[in-house]
Amino acid sequence: MYPVRYEDMVLTKILESKHLFIWPAFLTVLIVSLFPLVYALIVSFQSIRLVPPIPPRFVGLDNYAEIVSSARFWGSITTTAIIVCISVFLQYVIGFTLALTLHHNVRGASLYRVVFLLPMFLAPVCVALIAKMLFHPVLGPVNDLFTIFGSPNISFLTVPPLAIAVLVIVETWQWTPFVVLLMLAGLQGLPSDVFEAARVDNISIWRRFRDITFPMLLPLSIAVIFIRMIEGFKIVDTVFILTGGGPGTSTETLTLFAYNEGFKKFNMGMTSALSFMFLIVVIVFGSVYLAAAQRIVRRYK
Amino acid sequence: MSAERKIRNLASGLAVIWFLFCLFPLWWIFVTAIKPPLAVSQGATYFPFIDFQPTLQAYRDAVSGIRGDFVGPIFNSIVVSVISTVISVFLGAMAAYSLVRFEFRVKLLAGLVFAIISIGGFAILTEIYSVKVPYAIAIIMFVALFISVLLNRVDLPGPVMNNNDVTFWFVSQRMFPPIVSAFALFLLYSEMNKLGVRMLDSLPGLVLAYSAFGLPFSVWLMRDFFETIPVEVEEAAMVDNISRMRIFFQIVLPMSKPGLVATSMIVLAFIWNEFLFGLLLTSSKWQTLPILMAGQNSSRGDEWWAISVAALVSILPMILVATFLGRMMRSGLLAGSIK
Repeated sequence: MYPVRYEDMVLTKILESKHLFIWPAFLTVLIVSLFPLVYALIVSFQSIRLVPPIPPRFVGLDNYAEIVSSARFWGSITTTAIIVCISVFLQYVIGFTLALTLHHNVRGASLYRVVFLLPMFLAPVCVALIAKMLFHPVLGPVNDLFTIFGSPNISFLTVPPLAIAVLVIVETWQWTPFVVLLMLAGLQGLPSDVFEAARVDNISIWRRFRDITFPMLLPLSIAVIFIRMIEGFKIVDTVFILTGGGPGTSTETLTLFAYNEGFKKFNMGMTSALSFMFLIVVIVFGSVYLAAAQRIVRRYK
Repeated sequence: MSAERKIRNLASGLAVIWFLFCLFPLWWIFVTAIKPPLAVSQGATYFPFIDFQPTLQAYRDAVSGIRGDFVGPIFNSIVVSVISTVISVFLGAMAAYSLVRFEFRVKLLAGLVFAIISIGGFAILTEIYSVKVPYAIAIIMFVALFISVLLNRVDLPGPVMNNNDVTFWFVSQRMFPPIVSAFALFLLYSEMNKLGVRMLDSLPGLVLAYSAFGLPFSVWLMRDFFETIPVEVEEAAMVDNISRMRIFFQIVLPMSKPGLVATSMIVLAFIWNEFLFGLLLTSSKWQTLPILMAGQNSSRGDEWWAISVAALVSILPMILVATFLGRMMRSGLLAGSIK
């Protein structure tokens, strides 16, 4: 044992400390995400209007009750859920197929890799603007395509079911790459000896997929779909640009509804309550999905 | 084997179709940006020189700023996203490093106490004592942190959360619908504006918000990266009595350059493209590129050439990012991050 000065020990202890590493990040999240949330939670029990300014008044659960009883809220949940469910399903099916294709090194795979990845790095605002041009009822190329088959001009964005279909296409176009990226990484991580054995045993390509690849990637698939669902529920930029929620409120998603409530009516209490309801909706959908997913996993075991 | 060949052909067919499907929209804005107005307003045109005579007028208009400031938002976007990415990846890497190399034990009960003190204390301070919101947050944060950190040292019953839970806590910030935190942040910033601290429509406000926005990614990706770095080098340094901070800055960070680059690119892409925070937290001076484009959509509906130029400016850096990450993906670098 050689003598160590006390001050040195304190200094090293601070420099050695794990806390010094994690606290800056922790405090940033605390200040930017969590404490504003606490504030919004308190505001959601109040009635505050900025225009015309009314002093805050405690109203308890009134905001929440009003939301639950409004048809617009349930409408926006339905719209969001439809867009998310259909587009995530398409993303998964197409994305997994493309990942399999890339994994088996079709010709030109290295070029495909970059191009298939590209859409998810574009700003959703850009993608929506492009889609708006493409789906223009008179001047757009999609309309051109339909007129070749003798169809009259279709106004894609003002008929609710068509507008939702366009939103689904846009979402699928942009986010299939995410599925490709993760599923490809998953495929590359699979042990190759199993596939060698299956090949030797002359098991057909379809059965190899059904009995080996798919079950082995099931946990990853569940995670990928989960992430896409959570992310999909946030959809706002695309809708904001393409339809603005219209016609009427028929394509309004949850985030857009909250935004409109807050920044067109300046009803702060209501918007806070709405964003917390949104959080609850996401948690409910997420838990239902995870419960269902666990069942499927168990069946495969 | 013929069935196999059939599936193989089908797969390559599908890849080609999806390839075209991916590229067509990009081709479309690329040619639209060089269209003269007539080539837009008289129906869809597809090929320069065949369908229409290309012109660079739209680019000239954009640079000269005839129709509103265009260079300003680009500058804002670059400044905001670069600064926020650097901060976010730096803080995220530090946190990720500590999550890989140290052991954390956070008692659930201490966390609960923290939540109760902050919600209850905040309500009491603002409602009963009518303390201004930013001050209330500062007071509450200090008190609640102090108490729960002390509590964490005491023997408490109940489950203890480990490093994985702490990581999950960081990543779960991403699971919140962003409107919840964007809106709350808007309320907080407008309170601070009233106190004379300009946070709405300002650089510090945006950078703070976006740094936190990028943290979940950087913590998650950097943690996976640090896990692949062998610990032996660090142990050798520790034997030589070099402090952890120096080890981190002089040994670990230089060793993890590929991971830092990949993470920065992903975080940069997300911040560059982000819309909702920008929409809520800026009004004029610090508008970012996506907000400018959304505004153009409503103000100049059919001037597609102008919109295309703006979109191309926003897309080009991202094409570089995607190309780069596509290369990295092949080298299997991102494979680790899915586990």
